[in-house]
Amino acid sequence: MPIEIRPFSAEWRQAVRQFNGRLDEANVAPGMRLPEDPQTEMLPASESYLAVEEGVVRGGYTLRPQQFSFRGEIRPVAHYRLPVSEGPIDKRYALVGSLLLRSALQKEPLLYALGMGGFEQPLPRMLQAMGWGLSPVPFYFRVVHPARFLRKIRAARVSRWRAALMDFAASTGIGWLGIHATQRSRTRWGGRVPRKEVGEFGAWADEIWEDSHRAYGMVAVRNSEVLQQLYPASSARFLRIQVGAAGWAVMLDTAMHDDPYFGDLRVGTIVDCLAKPVDAAKVIRSARIYLEQRGVDLIISNQGHPAWTEALRADGFFNGPTNFVFGASPALCALGVADRHINRGDGDGPVHL
Amino acid sequence: MSRDLLSEVRRVAADVFAVDAKALGAASSPEQVATWDSVQHLNLVLALEGKYGIQFEPEEMERMKNLGAIALLLGTKLS
Repeated sequence: MPIEIRPFSAEWRQAVRQFNGRLDEANVAPGMRLPEDPQTEMLPASESYLAVEEGVVRGGYTLRPQQFSFRGEIRPVAHYRLPVSEGPIDKRYALVGSLLLRSALQKEPLLYALGMGGFEQPLPRMLQAMGWGLSPVPFYFRVVHPARFLRKIRAARVSRWRAALMDFAASTGIGWLGIHATQRSRTRWGGRVPRKEVGEFGAWADEIWEDSHRAYGMVAVRNSEVLQQLYPASSARFLRIQVGAAGWAVMLDTAMHDDPYFGDLRVGTIVDCLAKPVDAAKVIRSARIYLEQRGVDLIISNQGHPAWTEALRADGFFNGPTNFVFGASPALCALGVADRHINRGDGDGPVHL
Repeated sequence: MSRDLLSEVRRVAADVFAVDAKALGAASSPEQVATWDSVQHLNLVLALEGKYGIQFEPEEMERMKNLGAIALLLGTKLS
C-alpha cells in the first residue's frame, strides 16, 4: 500500500504514540519523536503532518509558519521542524524521509531548518542533496569560573590524559590565571551601558524592532507580540534585559546535571537578542555582565550574524566547535539569506539549555 | 514496464548505492541493499529526475518501494 501524507488531527494521537513507542524500543535518540498532541507547538498556526500506511504512522513533520523581515520586506517562511521517519529502524521505510521533505516543499517553498546536530547527520545530507544552502551558526563561550570549568566541562575532558591536565591546571591556579588573562586581553573596553531587567516585552520592544530589522538581510519578526509568545512573562525560566533604547537580550541560567557537554556546570546562555548591528556590542556586554553577576560558571551563545559574532569576540568570548546548522530551501536562498540574524531563539527555541 | 527502463534504473541505482548492477533486480528494495538508506533513496530520486528531466510528486514517491515500482512509475511519467 502507498504511504500517504495526512494532516495530524486528534484521531491520530494513539497511532503517533505507537510510532514513538517503536522508536523508543529501538533506542532512537530521545529528541527524535513526533509531538503526541498536534496543538503543543510554540507558535500558533503550526501544522503537523503524518506519513501513514494503512492506518499506521511511519513518520511525520511540522511546519511552523513565521514572518521574517528581508531588509524590511515582511514575508512568510516556515520552519521545517522535526521530520521523523521509521526508515532508520525499518529499511522498508527508507523512502519516507524524502517523501516528507518533498511534501513540505510543495506546501511551502520558503523553508528553513535549524540545529540538526551537525552536517554529517542524515537530514542535513538530504537537504544538501536537494540543493539547500547549509551553513554553521557559530558557537562562542566565555569562562566565568575557570577552576570549575576545567574540572567539569565534559566536552574538553575527552581523554584521561587531558582530564588530568585540566585538573592540574584547576588546582594550581594556572588555569584560572591563563583563562582570565586571555579573556581580559581579548575584551575591548566598551564603557557603561544602561541595563534593566524586565519581566516582559512591551511597546519599547516594538520600537527596537522598527529601528533595527531593516539592517538585516533576514531576521524573524521579533516585535512585542511575538516575543510574548516565545518568552511569556509567566515563564520564570527566561531572563530578559533591556539595554537602553539600543536593544534587548533573552538569557537562561541553567544548573546542568550530568550533561554530556557541560557536566554539572551552571551555564548562562545568551539565547536571543536584537539591536541594530552597530549596537550589538552593547547588548552582548550587558548580557555577559548580567550573567556573571548571577554567578554562572560559563556563558555560551550561538549567533549567525557577523555583527553579533564580532560583538562576542570583542567581549572576550572564545569560538568553539558548533553542530548548530542553518539550512535554507532553494527558494529561500533565492530570496536572499546573506546577512541573516539567526540564533537559539529561532527554530525550536532554546531546547536542551 | 520496459526492460530497457528497468535496466537503466538498475544502472543508476548501482551508481548511487555503489554496488554491482548485476546484484540489483526489480524486487531490490532498501531491505536488501545495505547502502540504500533515506539519504541514498533521495539521491536515487534526484539522479533519475536529472537524467530524464522530470520531477516526481510526493504522491508518486509514496509508491517507490523497490526498483521495479520505480521503473514502472518512471515509464508512466515518460509516456
